[in-house]
Amino acid sequence: MNPHPAPALERAHDDETYYLNMGPQHPSMHGVLRLLLRLRGELILECDPVIGYAHRAHEKMAENRSWIQFLPNTSRIDYLSGMIYNLGYCQAVEKMASIEVPVRAQAIRVIVSELNRIQSHLLWFGTFLLDIGGITPFLYCFDDREKILSILERVTGSRLTYSYGRFGGVSQDIDDVFIEQTRSFLTRMRKQAPMYHQLVHENVIFRKRCEGVGVISREVAHDYGITGPTLRAIGVDYDVRRAEPYSGYEQYDFEIPTRTGGDCLARFEVRIEEMEQSCRIIEQALDALPDGPVKPAKFIKKLKPPAGEFYFAVESARGHFGMHMVSDGGDVPSKIKLRTPSFSLLSSMSEVLEGTMVADTIAILGSVDVVLPEIDR
Amino acid sequence: MSSLDLSNLELGSEEAEYSSVGFHYIHRAQAGRIVAVAEAFREAGYHLEMLTAEDRRTDLEAMRLVYTFSRLDQLDRHMVTVDLAPEIPGAQAPSLAGIYPAANWYEREVFDMYGIRFDGHPDLRRILLPDDVEFHALLKDFGRIEDAPDEGAANK
Amino acid sequence: MPRTLLDIFGNPFIATGVGIGAVMTVLSINVLFCIWFERKVSAWIQRRLGPMEVGPQGTLQTVADMVKLLGKQLLTPAGIDKPLYHLAPLIIFAPVVASASLLPFSKSVALSDLNIGLILVFMFGGFAVVGIFMAGWGSNNKYALLGAMRSVAQNISYEVPLLLSALSVVLMVGAQGGGQIEIGDEVIQLNGLNLSHITLAQTSGLWFIVFQPIAAVIFFIAILAETNRAPFDLPEAESELIAGFHTEYSGMRFGLFFFGEYSNMFIGAMLATVLFLGGWDGPLLPGPVWFFFKSYLLIFVMMWVRWTFPRLRFDQLMAFCWAVLTPLAIVNILVTAFALKVVNG
Repeated sequence: MNPHPAPALERAHDDETYYLNMGPQHPSMHGVLRLLLRLRGELILECDPVIGYAHRAHEKMAENRSWIQFLPNTSRIDYLSGMIYNLGYCQAVEKMASIEVPVRAQAIRVIVSELNRIQSHLLWFGTFLLDIGGITPFLYCFDDREKILSILERVTGSRLTYSYGRFGGVSQDIDDVFIEQTRSFLTRMRKQAPMYHQLVHENVIFRKRCEGVGVISREVAHDYGITGPTLRAIGVDYDVRRAEPYSGYEQYDFEIPTRTGGDCLARFEVRIEEMEQSCRIIEQALDALPDGPVKPAKFIKKLKPPAGEFYFAVESARGHFGMHMVSDGGDVPSKIKLRTPSFSLLSSMSEVLEGTMVADTIAILGSVDVVLPEIDR
Repeated sequence: MSSLDLSNLELGSEEAEYSSVGFHYIHRAQAGRIVAVAEAFREAGYHLEMLTAEDRRTDLEAMRLVYTFSRLDQLDRHMVTVDLAPEIPGAQAPSLAGIYPAANWYEREVFDMYGIRFDGHPDLRRILLPDDVEFHALLKDFGRIEDAPDEGAANK
Repeated sequence: MPRTLLDIFGNPFIATGVGIGAVMTVLSINVLFCIWFERKVSAWIQRRLGPMEVGPQGTLQTVADMVKLLGKQLLTPAGIDKPLYHLAPLIIFAPVVASASLLPFSKSVALSDLNIGLILVFMFGGFAVVGIFMAGWGSNNKYALLGAMRSVAQNISYEVPLLLSALSVVLMVGAQGGGQIEIGDEVIQLNGLNLSHITLAQTSGLWFIVFQPIAAVIFFIAILAETNRAPFDLPEAESELIAGFHTEYSGMRFGLFFFGEYSNMFIGAMLATVLFLGGWDGPLLPGPVWFFFKSYLLIFVMMWVRWTFPRLRFDQLMAFCWAVLTPLAIVNILVTAFALKVVNG
């Protein structure tokens, strides 16, 4: 099925417009996104995001393996917030099957999830600046990100695609070294944050590229179900961690940073502040870390949640990650639908990108932070 | 924005236990009424959080569409299910793309994965799978690993 | 006045041969050095080491890269405009050699000494845009075409403030010491378009950067834009246009573009040195040492800028040129002319 039949291409020749396939192989297409653009000069008249190049059939896989066996898949949906997805899946199944999670395990989940969020935001920071032509910040934030990856690698055994969650807890307890490393990372992060701000935020070219660029209105956000930092940059203080707390998030004192601009700069500022808020949450969780077990005494080998339909959500680094699960009472899921925040974001892009320039496209796509594997699943 | 009024839409509505299922209400709607239902939700300030389908041909003899509507300012999640004819191809439902633009891609995905067609969809074509394949991947009779043993190891 | 190659050898053919050989050698060494230097500067700015493996401090890394480029297959895409595609790297490369031969690096010897040196340098500089456009058009690639279109618009626009800021220096030369200068027992009538004379005019007094700070800044910015360096590297903005006009070039054809870019940078820096930093003028050390030291200092600043700033958007780039730099340069010329009239009577 050719999305644009021949007459459209003919017309393109007549009226001095042309098509440009941006991606799937392109230096700044965040994985394997392809934007089919109709351009006049550098002005975008139409934009059609073409996805599916990284489709790995996670939802089909879910229907062919048991609830437990699907666990490693979850962190591979979005490789940048694998921990959040992994633990999100765990807590969803726990709620379905009414499995209690020890308080220590809940606190650990919060800590590692927030570390994961900072890591994801740091990577976004680097790639976003890279997209608008600033190469140096990328190297700076990867330096910090590396610290998080090392911390998480030590406790989970992997650097990106963690399979740390277990139904009823986490696979490993954290030790004093982890706590010490995390604390020293927080100190370092707080020292670095003003540097990031100075390095980038006041830069006149950066502001020119971001201010008023890619404004997403409240209506568009509502129409497309946009969530996460992009929504908060419009001024809606929606955060799953606050709206429907899970894993004990209600105990922690943190703010939901918002801006009203809805442009690239607002999204930038929201994410930078979110990193600080994540640091606060980690600090509180470390201070009040309860003792006790981190997983059930007996490993859950067999899991048969009650039949029914379920919907549970967590806040990933990109927004509302929902799982619609259907159980027929057996040990294999009848269906798992993964509602990923990037999918909603990208579906709005054909509207948002219309009328912008090619250079803005890159800046906008960079600032909303889509991760293609979670769109394609 | 008015409050949610679903009274004259003949929905089979039930309250649900949020803490165990994750939503507050579940409604069973007729396919013909889903547009009116969506309009009521939109009118009341809800957004379309998710749209998907389920292949329930073996147990319910139906293809089921699942819509989730939710609010950003307060916790109130409604799940709406629509049962369609169990024939693929053949199952059809009205498109919500005109009411919620978010439905555009969700419906394309449902069409791609389940083969359910949506009337009035502006651009109903495959989204994740290649354009030229002839299967709908999430149908239960496609690619199922048969005879999974009981002991929790479906892919042994 | 510097002796030219023609004065030394007498025979124009020998002089030309020696000149081309010398320029090619200097430019090649410069490119090898600059690429290594750029890597080290960026590494230094980005808190890392840069190349360390090949040779001491990675100094031979560029040599290794060049060997790699030479050994690579030259891919020729289908549907190209063959003459344009194949000529483009040469068109970019040849004027660079020509304009490099015009620059006076020493008091006593020059490759050539022409009364219209400045005009020739700008003329050869203008050739680059033709080559870039040929590459973009001939490649049959939309990214390349977009990059070429950006480049043409950018280069033509920035040529205006570039020339205007250089013009204020020309005015200054003509007014220096009543337009005459004595060297030994020789009295030279200063010519503002002769690059040696521009340098000579500065040796007797202060460098022109003192009198013309605004023109110097405008000139430097315009040089950045003319050489497609960040933050004006839109023609090859890799996050938008992959590699811009040279997307479809591989192997040594790409190498020639690379060569052209770094040589252009070098020439831009040398020209700025001649116009504003007194050329070979400096105490103690011999003239060429000062000349190259100043040039590389400017190249360092170019690199510093590149690794610090994000990239401008195209419309902002053009607005900056036409709404800021050009009016400023014009005002600067008027003020210069007026001040010279007042001072010199």
